[in-house]
Parts: sequence; structure tokens; C-alpha cells
Amino acid sequence: MDRAARVQAALERSLLPAVIARGGSLRLLAVEDGVVTLQASGSPGAVLPLTARIEALVRSAVPEITSVRIVGAGDLQPAVRVDADLGERVRQVLDREVNRSVAAHRGHVAMVDVDRGSVRIRLEGGCQGCSLAEVTVRQGIEPLLRAMVPEIVGVIDVTDHAAGKDPFFSPAKR
Amino acid sequence: MTRARVLLLVPAVTYRASDFLLAADRMGIDVVVGSDGALPLGEAVVRADPDDLDRSVDRLACTVGAVHAVVAVDAPMLLLAACVAARMGLPHNGVQAVAAAMDKAAQRRLWAAAGISQPAFRVVPAGAADDAVRTAAAEVGLPCVVKPVSLSGSRGVLRADDEAAAASAAGRIRRILAEARGPVDEPLLVEEYLPGREVSVDGLICDGLLTVTAVFDKPDTPDGPTFEETLLVAPSELPPDVLARVTETARRAARAFGLRQGPIHAELRLRERGGDQLPAMLEVAARSIGGLCSRALEFLDGVSLEEMVLASALGRPVEPPRLSRPSGVLMLHPEVDGILRAVDGAAAAAAIPGITGLSITIPVGQRVRPLPEGDRYLGFVFATAANRNQVMAALRAASERLDVVIA
Repeated sequence: MDRAARVQAALERSLLPAVIARGGSLRLLAVEDGVVTLQASGSPGAVLPLTARIEALVRSAVPEITSVRIVGAGDLQPAVRVDADLGERVRQVLDREVNRSVAAHRGHVAMVDVDRGSVRIRLEGGCQGCSLAEVTVRQGIEPLLRAMVPEIVGVIDVTDHAAGKDPFFSPAKR
Repeated sequence: MTRARVLLLVPAVTYRASDFLLAADRMGIDVVVGSDGALPLGEAVVRADPDDLDRSVDRLACTVGAVHAVVAVDAPMLLLAACVAARMGLPHNGVQAVAAAMDKAAQRRLWAAAGISQPAFRVVPAGAADDAVRTAAAEVGLPCVVKPVSLSGSRGVLRADDEAAAASAAGRIRRILAEARGPVDEPLLVEEYLPGREVSVDGLICDGLLTVTAVFDKPDTPDGPTFEETLLVAPSELPPDVLARVTETARRAARAFGLRQGPIHAELRLRERGGDQLPAMLEVAARSIGGLCSRALEFLDGVSLEEMVLASALGRPVEPPRLSRPSGVLMLHPEVDGILRAVDGAAAAAAIPGITGLSITIPVGQRVRPLPEGDRYLGFVFATAANRNQVMAALRAASERLDVVIA
């Protein structure tokens, strides 16, 4: 694996789930001259406190890395890599198969980008902050996309769920 | 079957769906989901309604195919999970044991029969007059605590300092129950108020043996009249002999119900007697710790509590985990009834050294209510640090920086 792939693997294995679970997102923008550039978005509380751990983990997993730079969503124009045809096919599946259904829950699913077979999606409306959003993604959207667009290897939800204003199901205790 | 396959029963109203799904994904487990939340993507989820037990068991047994385990993600699915597992012949706690663990009156009676230390209590029948509540309060001693036998998260739990207050509390709790459960009346529990330190024990039972996953100290637990879950910090600072008594009491309490498989979450108070600290049982639930609190636990090998729950359900050995560092969680509660307008200061709170996460779980614009009526947390703050005092200081400082605007 090249450096970027090793950094990406380390992020996905150990950090990304924790960041996403806390309402944030972290994506790899570049690995150049031993410097990793990551872009943080979503809830500030999701990434900010993990900054030291992120650097330690990346440097531990890929010893050639000398520093880690984390930028906000507005700091750079992200180098979005979307295979135009692949992205279009994903978008069509979302519009035809997913969004017509999730509209019943006041929801909408937007494609953010497709990068090396991973689709980043953002849940909106009733899906944003819904306590069953992860079930919808893992049991509904991801298998559907993988079945209808075989090049897709995974789906990453980059939604800032903490900012959801009208979730269809709200978390609570009973 | 080559890969493990688990039926996850996910209530529509839960904090924990994503953590369990993430755990299953990390473990390479195939998951089939049953839920009472009708999802828009048709066939993705099997309808599983805990209020329609028999038909849900039939539907799940007929449609999900072969699975190795059934796991309830949160409290509302516990009984259904037990029933489905029984139907499928899978290892699981028995239906009667789970039902007992969900009924606080049944808990008290079983513990009394087993000689387990607990508060003095009386069960006031459904529909009983105020006089019955007053009598129960006088018999257990004042101050007392009045609570529903169902509900969780301190909802509907009130301290009463005299008999009239106990009767008043009972009326208020019945209104909360009517809102939560509909027009189904249920008994109330009137029990002795136990002052003292509170701790919680999380663990996994396998063939009747308890593996403790975490003991949290609860240093800021209020004295009433409501009992908000506030600050949890682990590891516990209790001396080893007291800690051993606490975990043994929790184990015996779970055993008294017949719980033999899966997670437990126990809450205890420590009575001061002659310089000693004696544990007394408050409650045990046949599930792991609720809300987002499990995210406070960072174990040395990177395994999450949900992964341990799934592993245990699959019959895999679970070693007693070790925390990588002292950690804690602060649960945030609304202090007044109203519409949540803003939570300011989140970035400042998150920037405090030691704070590792901050999650506000109620959207701005929604109504919030404090306990005893409230049924949801405002949010959670997580911290880890080199020692417990730093964890607690970070969480308290974060709380002070948050400005919750409710109007």
C-alpha cells in the first residue's frame, strides 16, 4: 500500500467511526513530503478534541509521516475526486430508489462525492439526527448501492447529525 | 453459515443503534435488524413491535432466517429479544428472568427473598388511594422515594420528605405513566431513601459468571427531589474490598432474577455503617449502560462495550477489559420546560483539555422537559485524562462553558 492508502486505512480503522459517531467527519486530502492534510467538517466537538490522538495515530501507523495538518471545510477547496459516470449512477440510484422512499419520512439523501469506490453521503431533513439513521444507511442505502452499482465498496455517512432540526425518530429513554 | 449472523432488535427511540451497528461492522458480523421504527426502505428491516409481542415473535422467527444470536440494542426490546431467542432455541436470558428485571417491584421482591441488601420498600397497587401511599411512606421511613415499576433513566422517580409529598409524588408519577404508557395503570414502588455514594456496575454474564466491564463512580448524584444521571467516572476509587462487595452484590442480584447470559447494568448505593461501606441494590437492568455512556469507555485493546456484548451473545470468551485511561461522561439535562433555542459554547467546551467528545442529542427547536417528566438527555460530554480528578474537572468545566438557552 502507498502512504495515502495506509493513512486512509488507519483513519478508517481507528478514528473515523469515532469522529462520525460524534457528528463529525474527517477526510484525507493529501499526503505530500511526509505531511498529511486532513479536512474536518461537521460538529466541532467531534474532531477538535481528538487532534492530538489523530496525529499520534497517523504517525504511529505510517512512520514516514512527519506531521498532520487538519483544515476546516472552508479552508480549502477540497480535491473532490468523483468519477463522473460513477457519481452520476450513484446519484440516479439515490434519486430513484432511495429519495422517493425516504421522502415518506421527510428525509433526503445527497451524494457528496465518490472516492475510490466509497460514496460519501449526507442525510438531510427527517434523516438528519434520526436515531435510526445508521440502520437506514447500513441496512438500506449501502446494500442497495452496492447491488446496483457494483463498483461501490462502501458508504460513509458524513452528516452532522447533531445539527438535525427535525429528526423522524429522536433518541430518548423509556 | 460461515460468518456470524446476529438479529439486532433496535427500538425506534434509542441512542444506541449506530454504536451496535458499528461494532458489528468492526467484528465482521452480518446483521439483520428488527425494529418498531418502520423504515422507508421497505425490506431492509423486519417489523418488530415490542407492544405486539406474539405477532412480532412469529414474524421474526419466520422471516429472519438462521442467526447465531439475538441482541436487544436497548431496553424496549429486551423482552422481545428473550422471546425470539427462546423460539429459535438460542442461548439467551429466559423470558421470566428478563421480565423480572424490567419490573422494579418484582426486583425488590426477588431480592428480599434472596436476602440481598436493599432499601425497605412497599408496593402500592395500581389505582390505590393516596392513603395507601401515605401508609407505605410511613412504613419505609422518611424521607422516601416514590417511583414507577417501569420506565428508566430516573424518569418518574421522586423523593418525598413527608407523607403528603409522597401522595403528591404518586399523583404526578401516574400522570407521567399515562403519558408514557397510555391508560394502563401500574403499581408504584415506595422505598426508603438511602443517602450515600452511588456507583454503577456494568458487566457481562456468561453461564452465570459475571465479567465486570466497568464500575463507574457517580460523584454528583443529586439528593433529590429528582435523580438526574450526571457525572460518571471510571475506574472507581472504591477500596478493593468494597469494590469486591459491590460487584458480588450486583452478581447475586442478577442471579436472583435468573439472569445467566448477556449484559447487566446495576446501580447501588453504599451505606456507611461503623466506618464501613455496605452496598445496597437500587436497580439491575438486563442491558448494558444506557444513553451514549458506553462511549466513555476506552479499553486498552480498542474494543468497545458493544463489541463485547455482541461477542458474549455469540458465546465468544470475553476477558475482563482494562481501561486505557481514566474516563468519564457527563449527561446534560434540561433544567426547565420549554423550547431548546440554542446550546452555545460547545466549541469552547470541546476545547478544554481532556474533553474527547461532545454530543447534543436534542435538536434546537424541540421541546425539552426536566425530570421527572423528561424522557431524554440534552446531550453528553466525554473526557479522558491521566487521572480521575482531571476527568471530573474537565467535565465540570465543560458544563460551565455550555450555555443552554431554553425559552
